[in-house]
Amino acid sequence: MKGSNFGYLVKEGVRSLWVNRLMSAAAVGVLVACLILVGGAGLFAVNVNSVVQYVENQNEVVAFAMDGITDDQVEELDMDLHMTPNIGEITLVTSEEALEEWKERMGENGDVFDAYDPGEIFPVMFRLQVEDIAEMEDTVFTLMQHPYLQRVNSPQEIANTLTSVRQIVSIGGVLIVGILVVVSLLIIANTIKITVFNRRKEISIMKYVGANDSFIRLPFLVEGLMLGLLAALLAFFAVWGAYEYVLHWTAEIQSSWIQEARQYFIPFEKLYKPLMAAFGALGIGVGALGSMVFVRKYLRV
Amino acid sequence: MVEFRNVSKQYDNGTKALQNVNLRIDKGEFVFIVGSSGAGKSTLIKLMLREEKPTSGEVIVNGFRLNRLKRRQVPRFRRTLGVVFQDFRLIPYMSAYDNVAFAMRVTNVSAKDIRHRVPYVLGLVGLASKAKIIPEKLSGGEQQRVALARALANNPDLIIADEPTGNIDPELSYEIVSLLYEINKCGTTIVIVTHERELVEKFHNRVITVENGAIVGDTGEVWDERQ
Ligand SMILES: Nc1ncnc2c1ncn2[C@@H]1O[C@H](COP(=O)(O)OP(=O)(O)OP(=O)(O)O)[C@@H](O)[C@H]1O
Ligand SMILES: [Mg+2]
Repeated sequence: MKGSNFGYLVKEGVRSLWVNRLMSAAAVGVLVACLILVGGAGLFAVNVNSVVQYVENQNEVVAFAMDGITDDQVEELDMDLHMTPNIGEITLVTSEEALEEWKERMGENGDVFDAYDPGEIFPVMFRLQVEDIAEMEDTVFTLMQHPYLQRVNSPQEIANTLTSVRQIVSIGGVLIVGILVVVSLLIIANTIKITVFNRRKEISIMKYVGANDSFIRLPFLVEGLMLGLLAALLAFFAVWGAYEYVLHWTAEIQSSWIQEARQYFIPFEKLYKPLMAAFGALGIGVGALGSMVFVRKYLRV
Repeated sequence: MVEFRNVSKQYDNGTKALQNVNLRIDKGEFVFIVGSSGAGKSTLIKLMLREEKPTSGEVIVNGFRLNRLKRRQVPRFRRTLGVVFQDFRLIPYMSAYDNVAFAMRVTNVSAKDIRHRVPYVLGLVGLASKAKIIPEKLSGGEQQRVALARALANNPDLIIADEPTGNIDPELSYEIVSLLYEINKCGTTIVIVTHERELVEKFHNRVITVENGAIVGDTGEVWDERQ
């Protein structure tokens, strides 16, 4: 394709945007709204995940070894635990360490333990960090099968709650994004349909003088892409502003759990690259798809 | 140049527009197609342009067998001919110059060739001085001449005109057909559909008469002085 023709195609796309500026503005407006919702849902999900992950890491499974376990057996157990799937960090707490801990907690009354052998009252235990909290139940079940373990304590209810929060957030996110992408596609397609209608005369002339199909379609692609990219740009800045605002706003709330969770909110500097990439891809994808796939239908070239 | 072999055309709604038409137009001919309204003249033209496909039979134009032409080959075929319509089909917001240049630009002609060719064809149709004027400020005859310049832009072997004089004054009709006649003298084949009997009679050329979807008369070589 020659340079002058490429210029022509871009010019045609821009001209068409301008001629239908009201329509274009409306389309960009709806697209921006869609993208803001997509971006908002995405950022919300990312932050919920971050907070949930933190809460998850606070929850550990505690496995108590059987009474009278020997040092060799402890070592063997430790090795077995390292090979058990879904277990992250493992902390061994010996009877002596447990005793020290309790003595500290009891303060002045700590000496009540002096009469006992630590092994008798404090079984050896392992603090286990679970990697995927959704699989915790299975992991605990596996642990219970081990002959050297007498008891496993796990925060199963909290795990269940957190797992469902994650599921709801991710399913909801996917659903929202899916619906909005479809809406955006239809908006672009509709705008292009109107442009095709407005330009039916030029199109028919182009067909009679023997312009190639791709040449006839390209201005519509340019137009769709520009609509998509313009919307992506505007939505990006809108989401940025809104995000900073929410971060500021939550800082002023006097609720201890919000303040706690806030530490795990992700700052925008860490999010803007993926957000920009996602918006760019969505803008280009929706613009190209909306104009190319649907234009075939309206344009029998 | 143009050949119809046992061509019939039935539209989707059942209308039988053409029945078993056989026709041959050779290179360099100047042919009128006449007939009453609804006779099937425009259908004949649409088949030549491959705007429609025949229900049966074969159409060959400029060496292209149109029945077998694939969709993506249509542009290449169309570049070998020029078309003029009754309603001019000019782009309203473009000047005479740009209307002609547009047709060249969309077929990938270089900017340099466009700059040379457009003034030349506008000169051929006598509109060199009105290149910068938009269609609505031109008379019907002038608009049709712009359309003719556009048809000439890519130097076609064949020009097909469906009622080119239908929307303009009779005196100016003569001018348009005369222009086509001059173009024909340089070797371009011309096919004109028209209603105007007197116009046909002024030019002693081949006349094909269509009635009810069939060719009922063809003066053939009798009127064609150059054969
Ligand atoms: N797209 C179409 N679909 C259905 N029927 C059509 C179509 N185009 C034309 N016809 C019918 O085919 C017949 C021939 O039409 P055509 O346009 O070829 O006539 P014509 O000779 O050009 O007439 P006119 O002088 O009025 O332009 C008519 O009966 C017309 O109604
Ligand atoms: Mg007709």
